[in-house]
Amino acid sequence: MGQYEQYLPLLKAVSPSWFDQIREAGVKRYQQVGLPTRHDEEFRFITLSQLGEIEFQPAYGATIHRGELASVSQFDDQFAYTIAFINGQFAPEISSVENLPQGLHLVPFDQASSEESEIIQTYLGKVADLSGKLGSNNDQRFVDLNNAHLGEGAFLYIEDGVEVEHPIHLLWVSKADHGPLAFYPRNLIVLGNKSRAQVLESYLGFSGATLGNSVSEIVIGGEAELVHVKLQDENDDAFHISNVSVRQSESSSYTSYNVNFGAHLARNEFNVFLEGESCHTRLDGVSVGLSGQTIANHTRIDHALPNCNSFEVYKTVLGDDAKGVFNGKIFVYQDAQKTDAKQTNQTLLLSKRASIDTKPQLEIFADDVKCTHGATVGQIAEESLFYLRSRGIPYEKAKAILVYAFAAEVLERIPNEELRQKLESKLFAKLMPSEEA
Amino acid sequence: MPFLEISNLHASIEEGDKKEILKGISLQINKGEVHAIMGPNGSGKSTLASILAGRDGYEVTSGTVTFEGADLLEMEPEVRAAEGVFLAFQYPVEIPGVTNTYFLRAALNSIRKHHNQPEMSMSEFTKLVKEKAQLMELDSSLLGRSVNEGFSGGEKKRNEIFQMAVLQPKLAILDETDSGLDIDALKIVANGVNALRSQDRAVIVVTHYQRLLNYIVPDFVHVLMEGKIVKSGGKELALELEEKGYGFLENALVEA
Ligand SMILES: Nc1ncnc2c1ncn2[C@@H]1O[C@H](COP(=O)(O)OP(=O)(O)OP(=O)(O)O)[C@@H](O)[C@H]1O
Ligand SMILES: [Mg+2]
Repeated sequence: MGQYEQYLPLLKAVSPSWFDQIREAGVKRYQQVGLPTRHDEEFRFITLSQLGEIEFQPAYGATIHRGELASVSQFDDQFAYTIAFINGQFAPEISSVENLPQGLHLVPFDQASSEESEIIQTYLGKVADLSGKLGSNNDQRFVDLNNAHLGEGAFLYIEDGVEVEHPIHLLWVSKADHGPLAFYPRNLIVLGNKSRAQVLESYLGFSGATLGNSVSEIVIGGEAELVHVKLQDENDDAFHISNVSVRQSESSSYTSYNVNFGAHLARNEFNVFLEGESCHTRLDGVSVGLSGQTIANHTRIDHALPNCNSFEVYKTVLGDDAKGVFNGKIFVYQDAQKTDAKQTNQTLLLSKRASIDTKPQLEIFADDVKCTHGATVGQIAEESLFYLRSRGIPYEKAKAILVYAFAAEVLERIPNEELRQKLESKLFAKLMPSEEA
Repeated sequence: MPFLEISNLHASIEEGDKKEILKGISLQINKGEVHAIMGPNGSGKSTLASILAGRDGYEVTSGTVTFEGADLLEMEPEVRAAEGVFLAFQYPVEIPGVTNTYFLRAALNSIRKHHNQPEMSMSEFTKLVKEKAQLMELDSSLLGRSVNEGFSGGEKKRNEIFQMAVLQPKLAILDETDSGLDIDALKIVANGVNALRSQDRAVIVVTHYQRLLNYIVPDFVHVLMEGKIVKSGGKELALELEEKGYGFLENALVEA
């Protein structure tokens, strides 16, 4: 937090005064703990010491033209209503937030109307908060760090009863062309009762060392439905540390796809708090890490009320010397009878040097519940590989096809066809750089 | 020069006890011929087929295999396939998540690429697949499904021959493709194989049953026992085996 004092006035300039409290609380809490080490339970398996060594500057401006954007983003204007940020700053030139349908609000925080501001004030900083919740070690230091830098951000609000078919894209692009930079993306998504939306939250990087420390707070109203794809495809030198915190009201449904292809190190946290009965939650993930990459996924579902179900399928592919971490927490509170929770974690290791640490963590305080978890770590089946090769498919391609099939099983469920296909081709390109799908 | 020449082939299992399975096999196959290989369970038929296709796990301790004059054993499995070797597996492998058509198209185009030919256009491919699926009376719904996943035993075998019909190999090795087939399917499979028969190709049929050989009439029949070919003959040999069992060849085994 070296240059924080110099940076603070800039943050103040783009935000309402009440952000001060959130920032101050964040600074205070973060400074008590600082950067984690391997002695900190939640960071046991990854090394973040580099974050202290690289001199990240507070985000500076950069220009990215629409044409240029296409080299990192396959998603154009036609695809979605888009709110875009470059190095953390709102970028109207690559956004498309005009002509939104009735009941859909998509604005940067500092352009919110007074009604919108009221909603922001109701939820911002309150969803990404584990205080008072079960768990002995609710380490939220990177949420604190993000809070400390609270300034710009994306606000998405869908009014009660409004169903938006067209996807909504929260796009965070980074381009560190003047030295290492840190930026702190912030999203607030509020779905009114009985509303419906599909959101793509993406982090795409051009080049250069970056620290992207994001927090997304999501509030889902009663009987509302959200499909949320979070795509992390940062460049090889990037650190991506994200937190997605969700609150679900009665009979709502939340489906997330946590997709990771890029970054030197990515650590994602998905925390879902079920504060209404009869909720459906689906947390799925696909991560592919190759040379030098670390990908850590931490999920947490708090079943606080009865009759909710949650399903979770996380697939990880690790090649070369890549490292993976999966930590899946499920808390079933005393009142949460008839909870049905199922967690699956599957890893494919493509090399002897690749490794994953998995840690399912189920803490159950109700008696009439169904909770299961399963983890597998395997290699590509030799039999399958030989079968493909015996038909003429070269070794590397045969391997890519099998790995693709393993990982694509998760992407296959993404309801939006265009989005699904784009992610599938990204996956294929990552596995098979020289070939087309 | 024979099309395929196997000379004094000895092979053992690579792992564990390194048991010798093939104990000196010699076989010459010319273009246009169909050879049947019969023999008791565990005699080494699939091992021979696997070694020809390039499966890992076996060590060739001595002997050679040449295919069109080239050292077959030196080639990677995919190169053998591209050069025209095709193995219809005794136990076809299930590949979840990869559709039959995607798989076949990847195979076909890989083979074309090996020969510096351009990829086959989608429409041409679709036409080819349709035609061959019809020949094999393969339900078109199977084409869109994952390779062999959830296929019945007979469907898997038919799918192997369907793949063969699409890829048009020069040397087809069928490892017990007839087992598990009902009578109608047996005829369909035989049709598929006969359609491939030509003066430019050869077929090796591994089977336990003479019945298949009524439909795919072989030029030669070889009996493999305990890793050796103990007797070779014409198609009558299959009938004789059917009648007498392998017992009458025990002496031949001692001599071999
Ligand atoms: N990978 C292996 N490890 C150990 N033993 C093996 C292996 N592969 C083959 N064998 C052994 O080698 C012998 C020959 O097996 P193979 O499958 O070639 O027989 P087969 O003639 O095809 O028999 P079947 O008619 O039952 O299909 C058997 O005893 C078998 O157990
Ligand atoms: Mg066999």
